[in-house]
Amino acid sequence: MATEHPSTQLGDLQDQTVAGYRSALGVTHTTTVTLPGIRTQSGFQFEAVDVNFQTLGKLSPARDNAILVCHGLSGNAHLAGTDPQTGRPGWWDFHVGPGKAIDTDKFFVIASNTLGGCTGTTGPGSINPRTGKRFGMDFPRITVRDMVQVQAALLNYLGIEKLFAVIGASMGGMQALAWAVDFPERTRICVPIATCTAHNAMQIAFNEIGRQAIITDALWNGGDYSEPHFPAHGLAVARMVGHVTYLSELAMARKFGRRRQQDASDPHQFSIESYLHHQGDSFVKRFDPNSYLYLTRAIDEFDLFEKAAPEEVLREVQARFLIISFSSDWLYPPPQSRDLVRQLKRAGVAVTYLNLDSEYGHDSFLIDNPPFADVVHHFLNGEYTAAPKRPASSRFVPEI
Amino acid sequence: MNYGVYETVEQWIPEKSRVLDLGTGDGAFLERLIQSRQVVGEGVEKDATLVARCVQRGLVVHQGDIADGLDQHPDGAFDFVLLLGTFQELVQPAEILREAFRVGRQIIVSYSNFAHYRVRLQVMLQGRTPVTHSLPAPWYRTRNLHFLSVADFESFCQDTGITQSRRAFFSVRRQIAVLPNLRAETAVSLLTLSGGVVIPPS
Repeated sequence: MATEHPSTQLGDLQDQTVAGYRSALGVTHTTTVTLPGIRTQSGFQFEAVDVNFQTLGKLSPARDNAILVCHGLSGNAHLAGTDPQTGRPGWWDFHVGPGKAIDTDKFFVIASNTLGGCTGTTGPGSINPRTGKRFGMDFPRITVRDMVQVQAALLNYLGIEKLFAVIGASMGGMQALAWAVDFPERTRICVPIATCTAHNAMQIAFNEIGRQAIITDALWNGGDYSEPHFPAHGLAVARMVGHVTYLSELAMARKFGRRRQQDASDPHQFSIESYLHHQGDSFVKRFDPNSYLYLTRAIDEFDLFEKAAPEEVLREVQARFLIISFSSDWLYPPPQSRDLVRQLKRAGVAVTYLNLDSEYGHDSFLIDNPPFADVVHHFLNGEYTAAPKRPASSRFVPEI
Repeated sequence: MNYGVYETVEQWIPEKSRVLDLGTGDGAFLERLIQSRQVVGEGVEKDATLVARCVQRGLVVHQGDIADGLDQHPDGAFDFVLLLGTFQELVQPAEILREAFRVGRQIIVSYSNFAHYRVRLQVMLQGRTPVTHSLPAPWYRTRNLHFLSVADFESFCQDTGITQSRRAFFSVRRQIAVLPNLRAETAVSLLTLSGGVVIPPS
C-alpha cells in the first residue's frame, strides 16, 4: 500500500523511521529464559513460562536501583537501543538511555515482553506442552495481575527483591498499579502514566471493534491459523482503529489535514489514510492476532478495585507515586488519573500528579517530549537520592 | 510585596507539622519549611512549569487548582493549610475556606489590604484604580477578583465563625502594629474554627 510515512512525532519508534535518529545505547539484545510457571487468576496452571527480557545499565551492589518498565499493548522487551535484527531503536528509546528520563547510567532497567505477548514470552502463539501444537484459543484467559506475577518471577530469577521503581504507560500503567497493590513490599516508587484503574465503556468499545475486525477475518479460523495464511487484514484494521484513539484531533489536523498522499496509486487517497495503512501493514509484520485478542481482553477486564473498595485495596500500598496524564489524551482522559490520585491520597499515599499539556493525545508518552522526560528524570533522581533518608513507609495516619 | 509574610508563617508553624501549601508556586517556601521546620508537606499548583520545578526540588506536588487540590484529601489530613497571596484571587473564598477547614485544622492566609492609605489616596485624588507594591498590576491585568481590607476580613471572620488566633501586618518593609487597616499593605492571619461554627454555604 503506502510507502513509509515521513513521521517524526507520531507513534511508536518501532513502526517509523526518524531521519538521522540513532540510539545512544548502540545495539542491545533481549534474552529468553524459562521460569517456573504461575497459576493464573482464572485457575490455569502453567508448568513453565518463557520470558523474553532485556536489561540496561548496571545493578548497584546494594541492588537498590532496579527499575521495571512495563510496555503497552503493542510493545515488547526491546525497550531501548538498536535492535540487531530490525536495525530500529526500541519503543521507548526517546526516554531510556544515558542521561535520559530513565537514566541507564544510574539505574538498572528491566523490560520484559508480557505474558500473552508474541515476542518471546509465553502467549497464544506458543506451543502447548499438552498437545504439542500452538495454544491458539486454548490459551487460558489471562489478566493484568497474571502478567505481573510473571514479571515477579523474572525478578526472582534476576535476584531482585525490591524494585526502586515500576513504570508503565497505558496497559503498562495498569501493571505498575497492580505491582504497587499486589507486591507492596517490593515496590518503592510507582509511576503509572496515561492509564486508569478500570476501562470505561468507551475504552472497551474501541477494543471490541479491534477484536471483531480480527475474528471476522476469514483467515482467523477460530484462532487456528499459521503463516502465511493468517488474519493480517483484521489485525491491520484493529491497529488502525487503535492508532486513531492514540492521536488527537489537533495532532491529526496538523500532521495530515486534508492533504492527499503524493505517491499513492489512488490520487484521491488522503495522507491520513496512507498513514493508517502504513501503521496497519507495519504492525502485522510484528504482532500476532491472537495476542491482540488476549491482551485487549485482559486490559478490558482489569479492575484494580475488583476485590474491595479503594481505601481497603490501597491500605497496604507502600510506594510513593508519580502519576502523569496528558491534556489531549481522550483514550485515557485526565479525569481517570485524577480519580486515582484522589483514591490514593485519601488512603494516605504520597502522590505527585501532573496533567501535562500536550497536543499528541495518548501517544504523548511515546514521542520525544522534553517536559515529560524532565519530570520523570527529576522525580526518579530526586527520589533515588532521598530514598535512604525517607522512612520505610511514606504513609501518615490522619488524625481523627 | 511579601515582606515579613514568609518569616511570620515559618514562625507560626511548629516542627513536624503536616502542611498543605495551596498555590505553592515553584515550591521554594515549602522546601524552606521542610528544611527549617521538618514539616511533612505537599503543594498544589496550577502552572505546569512551576509544578516541574517543585518536582525538581523533590516535593510532593499536585497539578491542579486550589479546589481540586483540596478535594484530593481526606478530612483532617493536615495541621495547616496555607493560602499565601492567593486569597483575593479566589472566585469563592468562603467555599475554599470551608473545604480547607475540612482538610486541615488551621489555615494561614495572607492578603493585600485594599484600604492602605496609598490606595485610598490614589482612588480619592487621582480617581484611578490603584497600583501599589501589594497591588502591582493595572486593573485589566490583575488576577485579584476581590478587593478587601483588614476591616473587611475581620467582619468576614465574625460572620463565618472563624477565629483569627494570630495576626500580623506589614508595610513594604516593616511590621505594622498600630492602625493596620490604614497602614498595612499585606496581612497574615492564622485561622481556626471555634465552637463548631461552620461557614454557611454561599
